[in-house]
Order: sequence, then C-alpha cells, then structure tokens
Amino acid sequence: MKRLSVLSALVVLMIFSVACSKSSSSPTPPLDKTNDGSFKVYTEGKVTTVQNLAGDTIIGIAPSGQPYGAGKFTFFSLVNKTIVPNSDSATSNWDIAIRGTTIITNGGTSGPGNGGGFVWVGAFDNLTAVPADSVFKTDNAPTYAITTGSGKGWYNYDGPTNLVTPLPGRVLVIRTANGKYAKIEILNYYRKGSTPAASETDAIKLAEQRFYLFRYTYQADGAKTF
Amino acid sequence: MVQPLSKKYNTMHRLLQILLICFLSFPAMAQVQKSRLYDSTERHLLDEVVVTATRNERKLSNVAVPVSIISQKTIQRAGSLRLRDILQEQTGLFMTSGFGTGVQMQGLNPDYTLILVDGEPLVGRTAGVLDLNRITVGNIKKIEIVKGPSSSLYGSEALAGVINIITDKNYENKITAGSRYGTYNTLDANINASARVGKLGINTFFNSYSTDGYSIRPYSVERAKLPVWRMTPQVKLNYTIDDNTSVQLSVRYNYEHIKNELAVTNNGLIVYSKGREINKDINVIPSITHQFSNKLKTTLRLYGTIFEGSQQLATSSGQGYDDYFRQQFYRAENQTDFNLRNNLSFVAGIGYIREFVNSSRYDTKDSRKENEVKYGFFQTEWKPWKPLTLIAGFRYDDNKLYASAFSPKVAAQYKVSDKLRFQASYGKGFKAPDFRQLYLNFTNTAAGGYSVYGTLEAQRVIDIQQQSGLIKELSADYYKLQTLRPEFSNGFNAGVTYLPIPTLQWQLNFFRNDITDLIESRQVATRFDNSQIFSYINVKNAYTKGLETSIQYKFLNHFQADAGYQLLLTADKDEEALIKQGNHYFTRDENGYSIEVKRSDYIGLPNRSRHMGNLKLQYEPTSKKWYVSVRNIYRSKWAVYDKDGNGIYNKQDEFAKGFLMVNLSAGYEILNGWRIAAGIDNLTNYSDVLNLPNMPGRSYYTMLAYTFSKSKK
Repeated sequence: MKRLSVLSALVVLMIFSVACSKSSSSPTPPLDKTNDGSFKVYTEGKVTTVQNLAGDTIIGIAPSGQPYGAGKFTFFSLVNKTIVPNSDSATSNWDIAIRGTTIITNGGTSGPGNGGGFVWVGAFDNLTAVPADSVFKTDNAPTYAITTGSGKGWYNYDGPTNLVTPLPGRVLVIRTANGKYAKIEILNYYRKGSTPAASETDAIKLAEQRFYLFRYTYQADGAKTF
Repeated sequence: MVQPLSKKYNTMHRLLQILLICFLSFPAMAQVQKSRLYDSTERHLLDEVVVTATRNERKLSNVAVPVSIISQKTIQRAGSLRLRDILQEQTGLFMTSGFGTGVQMQGLNPDYTLILVDGEPLVGRTAGVLDLNRITVGNIKKIEIVKGPSSSLYGSEALAGVINIITDKNYENKITAGSRYGTYNTLDANINASARVGKLGINTFFNSYSTDGYSIRPYSVERAKLPVWRMTPQVKLNYTIDDNTSVQLSVRYNYEHIKNELAVTNNGLIVYSKGREINKDINVIPSITHQFSNKLKTTLRLYGTIFEGSQQLATSSGQGYDDYFRQQFYRAENQTDFNLRNNLSFVAGIGYIREFVNSSRYDTKDSRKENEVKYGFFQTEWKPWKPLTLIAGFRYDDNKLYASAFSPKVAAQYKVSDKLRFQASYGKGFKAPDFRQLYLNFTNTAAGGYSVYGTLEAQRVIDIQQQSGLIKELSADYYKLQTLRPEFSNGFNAGVTYLPIPTLQWQLNFFRNDITDLIESRQVATRFDNSQIFSYINVKNAYTKGLETSIQYKFLNHFQADAGYQLLLTADKDEEALIKQGNHYFTRDENGYSIEVKRSDYIGLPNRSRHMGNLKLQYEPTSKKWYVSVRNIYRSKWAVYDKDGNGIYNKQDEFAKGFLMVNLSAGYEILNGWRIAAGIDNLTNYSDVLNLPNMPGRSYYTMLAYTFSKSKK
C-alpha cells in the first residue's frame, strides 16, 4: 500500500513534468528560400531586392586580432541594378559602394556624382516621401553621409557575440549619382541573409559576413516620393 | 590539449577527507541515542521563530513582511552541499551564472541581495556577485529569506531582500558527522561537535569539499565548473556570566582553491590560460548580551571580516595575469530592545563601519581605498488592538564616500482569525556604489584590449590617454560621468495567508519594486585601435513586479507537498516610455522587414523568466525510518541576446529555453544514529551549454551520516 502511494505520487509528478516542458521557437524564414548564396537581384513592383552583395569579404586575421579584407569597395548602381566594376569608381555609373560596414555614396570625397544621403528612422513602407526638412549629407572622408560606427548609423555590433546586425527601423535615403532619389533598407549582413547563431564559432561568423541583403525603391522621375 | 589534473593536489585533499571520515567512526561504540534530525515531522505545519525580519525573535505568523524559512531538515533531505544547491529549489529565486553563482530575487540582480551569516554580512563580491558556492550548508540550522527592501534595518545592499544563514547554535554534548560522495568525484565531509563545560558552551565545525568539476561541452579544455577544494572550520563559544549576561564569540574561516583552465576566443584567435585562484575569508564576531530586566535587553556586537582573493594565470599568448583583491570590513554595533508594554516594543541601534580595499584591479595593488559609514536605526512595533500589528522604522546611513541614505519602512498585519491574515509593507532600499564602480582600472588583454574604469579613475585616465593621442572619440556618455549616487528602490509587498485546515497553508504575495538611478557600465570612449573604454553611470530607472504564491499541504498522514509559483514582469521605464511614445524601437518580421515594437512585444529586463515554479513531494512512513523526496523546479524562457540589435529585449530576440529540473533523494536510518541517503540530481539530464553553464548534467551521490548526542536532562 505504502509502495503504491509512493509510486502513484511519482507518476503524478512525472505528468506534471511533461506538462511543464513546452518549447518555444519561431525561426525567421529566409526571404528567398531558393537562394544558394550567390549574388542576385530581382524586382517585384516598385521594390528591388539585392541578395549576397559581397562587400570586401574577410581574407585574414591580423596578429592584433583584427580581421581584414582586400580593402576594396564593391560599387553598385541603384539605377541599373548591377555591380559596377572597380575601374569605373571615378565615374557617375555607381550610386553606392560597400566595404565591410562602411557605405559610401557617389559624391563629395567619394565620387564625381551628385550623391548624398542620410539615415531616416522608421519603417521602409512608411517613408512615402522624403521629408521636406531633410538635409542630405555628402561624403567627406573619414566621415560619410551614412554614419559609420556601431549603433550610430545603420548597424549594431555586439562584442560578446561578435555579430553585426542591421538596426531595424533604419532607412538609408540616398541621392543617386544622377541626382534622383532612392530609399534602401538593409536586411542582413551575412550570406544567404542568415545571421549565424550567437553560439556559432568566430571562424564561421567571419567567413559568412560582409554579404549584404537589402531592398530598395528608386524613383526614376526625380520626384521625392516613393 | 587536455591536461590531467594535478595528481598531487588531489591525493592530498582526498587523504585529508578519508582521515576525517575515519575519525568520525570511533564514537560509534559509545552509547547512542536516537537521531534528533528526524524528530520534527509533525502532523501540522509549524509556526517557527524568525529573527531576520525585525531583528528580534518573532513567531512567523506575527511578522508583517514576506519571510520564508528553509529548515536544516529540508537542506539535508535535498542532499545539498553548497548554499546554491538549496536556494535553487526555492520559489522565486534564480541562480545566475557569471563571476560565480549569484541569486536573483524578485527579479533583481545578485548585487541587491544582502547575504548574512549569523546576522553579519559576507564581503568579497566580484562584479557585484557573491559566489554562493563559497558557503557550505553543513552546519546551517536554518536559512531565513526576507523579500522586499530591508535597508531600514540592514542598510546598503538589502534592496531586493536579505538571506540570513543561521548556523548551528547547539551547545549540548553532541557530535554529528556526515560524508557525501558523488559524480564528478565530488566529496564532501562534515563534522560538527558541541559540548558544555560548566558555563561555557562550545560548538565546533569543519567542512571539506572537493570536486573535479565538469565540462558540459564535450572534449572542451574549459570547464563549466572548475576543479576546486574548499574547507570551512568554525568555532563558536558561549559563556554565561550570570542569568542576565552572556558573552559569545564566533570565528569562521573559509578557504577555496580553484584550478583555472580557460580558453578565450577573440576573432578566431584562441588564448589558453592556466593557473589557480585562491579565495580566503575570515569572519570574527565577538558579542555581549545583557538583559537589564524582562523589558530591556542590549547587545554589543563587533564584527571583523577579511576577504582575500588572488588569481594567477599563465597564458599561451605569453602575457600572464596576476590578480589580487583584499577587502576588510569592520563594524561595531549596539542594539537595544525595549518592551515597554505587552503591545508596544522598540528596537534601536547605532553602528560604525570601516571598510578597506586593496586590489590590483585598481590603480596599484598597494594603494588602499577606504570608506566609513556611521548609522543609526530605530523600529517600533505596536499592537493597537489584538488582531492588528503595526511596524514602523527607519535607518540613516551617513556615508563618507557617497551621498547619505535614509531608509524608512512601514508594515502592517491584520489577523482576521487564526486561519486568515493579511499583510502589507512598504520599504525603501538602497545600495551604495561599491569600490569597483569608483576605482576599477582594468584592461582585458586577452579579449580585445577593452578597459573598464571606475568613475573616479575614468576622467583622469582618459585625460592622460587623450594627451598621448590614444583616444579616437569620446561618446555622449563620457559627458555624463559624475560622482555616483546610491541606487534606490521603493518596494511594496501585500499578501494573504490562509490555513483552512491545520495541514494546509496557502500564501499569496504581490510585489512591486521601483528602482531609480541604477548604475550601469557604459562605453565612454574608443581608442584608435578600436578598443572600447567603459565606465559607470547612474542611468536607469526600472521596475520589477509580480506575484508569488505557495501551498504547503500534509496529507494521507505520510505525504507532504509543497508547491510554489512566481510571476515576474519587468521593464526599463525609459524604454517603456519610448515604446509608448512610438517610432523609436523597431524589430523585424518573419521576412526581415522592419516593424515597430509593440508594448506587448516588449520583454523588459533580460535574463529573467516570467514564470518560475516548483513542486516538491515527500513521503515518510509513521516509523520515520525512511523518506523519499522528489523535487521539480521549472523556469520559463528568458531573454539572453538582443538578436535584432534594437537595443531592447523583445519577443523577436533570442531566448534561452525554459526547462524543468527534477531532483530525487531518499534516506534510511540503518541503526540508531546512523543514516544513509542517496540521490539523483537533474534526473532528466537537462543541460544548456550556453545559458546554464553552472548546471551539471545528471549526477548521483550517496551519503552517510552519524549523530551522537548525550543531552543533560
């Protein structure tokens, strides 16, 4: 009898244990499930999406512990939706260029175009027109129209996890080389648009980074509305 | 490159423990009385006496603030060895990892819970955490836990609450000894002997604990729990001069030797370190108590404690690490209890504290930092009519280094009947900035070269580095650096206790803590090599609120069930206000597109579970010869990482999974005075390498204990 009651108590406890252990998970599905990690551009309606645009990917680690790439920008034309060769860096053929977390626009000290820009706080879809009181900044190295530095411009770098995350709710408002307007939302900084898990090794975090995923709308008629 | 543990080190300590166990066995031939440890299983729930809540002895049912008690029997039956083991099974307490194991109470960090041994504070915190593994439970008579601000009696640190460890005060002729061995080569041995020689009572205790530690990461050099040897001797003397006067002396020493083997990764470069860490602390408490009359009693207590920690590491990068920390805390205090009438009593006290710290983490190891506190407290307890108890008190701390603090407290209890009572209390708590927050001067060469400077150091050091052209930029927070203020909280507790039948008790308590001027480390500057400089600022205002409920039930004559639950909600007030204001915080939807954070998505403070619960069941037959105990402890998910990078914690961020831990134990009295026990901790073998590094996998143990007592009738 006594044994029985002990047993039944144990059973009750086990049931309680099972009832309590629920798991929660809601992984974010990738934007394009067919993506294999290669560079790709596609347009749906007004919005163009750019996948895996490599911006000076890491090739080594300095003895100081700092990782480094080849040090070259990747140039992109928002107008033509294509990568622009580095030999054209001194022309107005490109609108933005990326190197690590640095984004430049074709103007000021960066290029011969009319480019400039600023970071707007809000959701991409809510930016229907460039606000009248906006001030477009131009690049003046080492400061840029799109502010550099963790938590200051468009991204956040977390030291403990060694991960770069585009700040949500930031829209890069760009004046293109030809003086027209575009808005960009950077969605991810890693290959396939997938940030490695915080628990992943540094080697993987470094190998997978500096691959931009972003969407943008370019207003070809020169209006400030999107 | 896993190195085997030093053989010499292990054998020495094993030997010491084996000797101790042998020594324990010889009083066995003498006459044996029935073990006293099983005696207290009553058919009804006990109304115990507590001291921590009011600084004098009160029946638990007469105390107007939330207090819980962990008895010696509970500790023994859980098979606990260190303070952490038993606290983790309590409702609403969560064990944090990082700088040892700390305790989170009512959702507040370990920094805000005062930990006392026999009423005196332990010192030697690292980054605000007092490692609970430092404390053996071998001679603990009971643990009293007071929740809610208690600074009105205890001053700084008693902001979330107080944990008072009361050690055995038995002065009868008695020997208790026990030893436990289990997984990870964990060996613990205790001996506690007491005797009375005329007017002198003596109580001595010795504990030794050693473990090989473990790694829950397979094949890892790094151990989640490091190999350690600890020992704690304690001696207590009590001399009765006459019926009204007695003198007490307590001396406790604690020694801890930890073997370090670390691997620090920085951008893929791994730096291995090997070495040792030695922590020692000594506590000396002489006191004298005099009873002038049955109305007036006074106690003079002196307290001195020294904590010394040193760590020496040799690293594979060539740079060694040599860390030294020494904290001294001296206090003189007089407390007078005055019972004017049956329904009106007063407690008054004054005290003086001097504190010194030397540390290699400060500018130089030899420069001694010091602080001085003068304080006074007063509390009155009044029963205007029988069912109503009112308590009002305050304390004033005059601090040499920081602003002074005034901490009031009021509490009331209304007893509707013996079955039903209501309590409510309000208290103000504070925590003075610690030496680290003022004087720290620390640069981590292993992980990226970041520096942390205390506020008194920061401006000076950054000025020098700026003149040397090292500083790239100063951040906005640099200009906020100023003299630190204490952190304050306003805590409210309100609850009900209901005993419908003598074997069933139900308790419910609501709490809310509003904390202002929380001190946080913030980045104040960046050097040209991109290394960051941090310092401390009073920045945050936050709150924690929730409810705690528990049921104790004895049924079918042999069963006891205990169930507890805590609901916890927290927020940073500034973040909450910005979310309500709108267009400030964003996160990402399942496509990665930005959306605004809604109030319902906001989590509040990280590393806190919304739900925590436990269910414990114990069976003991009428003969009390044996028992079986099953304890389930549950904790829901908690935010660990700001995955979307928006600076706050919301539902879209990364969480550690909720988990259930099941601990099992059973014991049997084989002969008079001889008991054996065995247990399995973490039966389901739950582990979480990243978020619960301090939680071992399934572990087994066996225990043997012996009690011999010869009480004078």
